[in-house]
Amino acid sequence: MSLFPFVVFSVISLSIGLVLILISNILGTKPKTKRLHDIYESGMDPVGSATKRYDIKFYLTAILFLLFDVEIVFLFPWALSYQSSSIKPLMLAEFVFFMFVLIVGYLFVLLSKSLDWEE
Amino acid sequence: MLDEFLEILIKTVVILAIPLGSIPLILQMERRGAAWIQKRVGPNRVGPYGLFQPLADVFKFLFKEEVVPSHVKKFFYIIAPILSLLMALLPLAGLPLCAPFFIGDQKVYPEVFRSGLGIFYVFAATALGPYGILLAGWASNNKFSMLGALRACAQMISYELAISTTIVAIFFIYGSSDLHVMVEKQNESLYGIIPAWGVFLQPVGCVLFLVGIFAESNRLPFDLAEGESELVAGYHVEYSSMKFALFYMAEYVHMIILSTLFVTIFFGGYGLLPGMGFVVENLPSSIYFLQAISLISKVAIMMWFFVWVRWSIPRFRYDQLMNLGWKTLLPIGLVNLLVTVIVIYLRSN
Repeated sequence: MSLFPFVVFSVISLSIGLVLILISNILGTKPKTKRLHDIYESGMDPVGSATKRYDIKFYLTAILFLLFDVEIVFLFPWALSYQSSSIKPLMLAEFVFFMFVLIVGYLFVLLSKSLDWEE
Repeated sequence: MLDEFLEILIKTVVILAIPLGSIPLILQMERRGAAWIQKRVGPNRVGPYGLFQPLADVFKFLFKEEVVPSHVKKFFYIIAPILSLLMALLPLAGLPLCAPFFIGDQKVYPEVFRSGLGIFYVFAATALGPYGILLAGWASNNKFSMLGALRACAQMISYELAISTTIVAIFFIYGSSDLHVMVEKQNESLYGIIPAWGVFLQPVGCVLFLVGIFAESNRLPFDLAEGESELVAGYHVEYSSMKFALFYMAEYVHMIILSTLFVTIFFGGYGLLPGMGFVVENLPSSIYFLQAISLISKVAIMMWFFVWVRWSIPRFRYDQLMNLGWKTLLPIGLVNLLVTVIVIYLRSN
């Protein structure tokens, strides 16, 4: 199993975007006024910086996603090896216990109001 | 070595040309479809039935003035659309267009990059999507862009959970992560009448996955990333000319890839459409071509479905969107997984 096809594919995909931008850079008309380069706003100068503080909810969502996604990733090898295993009752018991822990964790997150977006 | 390289090159060109070449057609279908649903005329001036409108758009994009605003982080601002398109195109390398075929006595797989992990590669590559958006939003240094990018990311990762739970259930049913094996198993028939498509084996998972792909590709009713009335255009508000077009292409490629995945898992993938068996009997060598045609027509129906939903259902509010993802779809996904596993265990005893 070599990574060579993947490298060829990525290089060609990358070059599509690069070439298109290069062509439009050569063919496109050149800017005539400086006002065009102003920030996009509703006709006024913007107040404050764009990289100011944002709602903590976005950060929290990312952390929770990471937790749940990792737990679901743990299930992938289990699901793939179930059909060929000889100890199916044990594997089922493990799965039910795992899901129990996962659902308890989910209920904790739900009750801690981390998922509530409305004020 | 040279043969191998040539084979990779041919496969890459074909796999890239089909989705990128169909984007203008999809765009035109979307505009005319929207016009048809809203009882308007739609673009009909350029060429017969307005068919050359997308071509005119391409030339417009190429000759547009290149604006790089003075307040952006220039390097990241320019590479963001290129990376967006690259990350949108990467999953294509792992999607099969037809069954593996033989040239001489050598088995050739239609995928460019055949990893032993099968669908995992496609998923890993699809999950890179938010990076391009986040980079564009941050580099634009504009409040609209930043908020749009944050929203898009939070939304895309939230709905990935619902999709992941469905995928575990699917692995459990098929017992393999290889897309070819999945399609083969779906070509068998259920009770002798209906095909054993994933949609009949896993109906709840199918709905979850369908909602998930709408949210993942930022399409209405989930296009909160660019809610026009509040964020103007979201993360690409500062982009113009070809750079904007690249974001557009990335969005459509993303839609095509997710639809292909959906169709492959739940609707028999490249399995032949009804009526095609007759042609194969008379002309056995045409089977791979017909498989590709089947897959492409199924994906085309999905693309029409995207348009149909877009002009039928209004946009959600942001807290409704997050509630739907975290408080409705995720629990349903977990319960669906639990029920699937227990039912299969009981049936096998």
